[in-house]
Amino acid sequence: METKNFGKISFEPESELEFPQGLPGFESRKRFVAVRFVESDPLLYLQSLEDPGLCFITMPILVADPQYRLKVAGEDLQQLGLPSSRQPKIGQDVMALTVVSLHESGPTANLLAPVLVNLRNRKAVQAVVQEPGYSHQHAILAEETETPQALAQEAPTCS
Amino acid sequence: MLVMSRRQGETILIGDEIEISITHIGRSRVKVGIRAPRQLQVIAREMKLVREENLAAAAGSDAPALSGLIARLNPRTANPPRR
Repeated sequence: METKNFGKISFEPESELEFPQGLPGFESRKRFVAVRFVESDPLLYLQSLEDPGLCFITMPILVADPQYRLKVAGEDLQQLGLPSSRQPKIGQDVMALTVVSLHESGPTANLLAPVLVNLRNRKAVQAVVQEPGYSHQHAILAEETETPQALAQEAPTCS
Repeated sequence: MLVMSRRQGETILIGDEIEISITHIGRSRVKVGIRAPRQLQVIAREMKLVREENLAAAAGSDAPALSGLIARLNPRTANPPRR
């Protein structure tokens, strides 16, 4: 697969993620892969398989907020093919990623609407969680004040 | 903001063309029926925020900001080994 940001990438067909509804704002984009690079760990790039130029920067939601509590609506659990009788466990039932935005004021993570992937069938949905108080622009690293001396080099970018 | 009390099954009219009905009241959620002209987009507020945030996330790529973020998240890669 040829991509705009990473050149050619190869992936196993079984690692493809299927978003039956697309993502809000990108409803027609339903097939993605999550790409990881050693030099940009713990970030994951969500690359569209239908649009070489479409890619989201994401990270595991527990990295952005180690106390994150997932509360997913029944409709979203149905989309994922999960029972709506109980909440899914991150890492066991689902992978939970948060979409990162690089605003001028600093990087933020969308904790209001995590990307959830059913680990068994690779179905995915960006679900607005049913827990009040989570922001769509949660400042990452805001609590830290020290600026690192050295910045990571050669980190793949994504636009 | 105008606040009105309504019972289940009751309706509010906005102008001549928009109708909002309280169709079900649950323990912590209400179901609302909305009738509006086709050209009006009806969308939950959170969905609008998420859509805008996705559009911003997909559009923006600031390499130094990204490198800075990675350096803060993962100090091990702050000085990558030379290849």
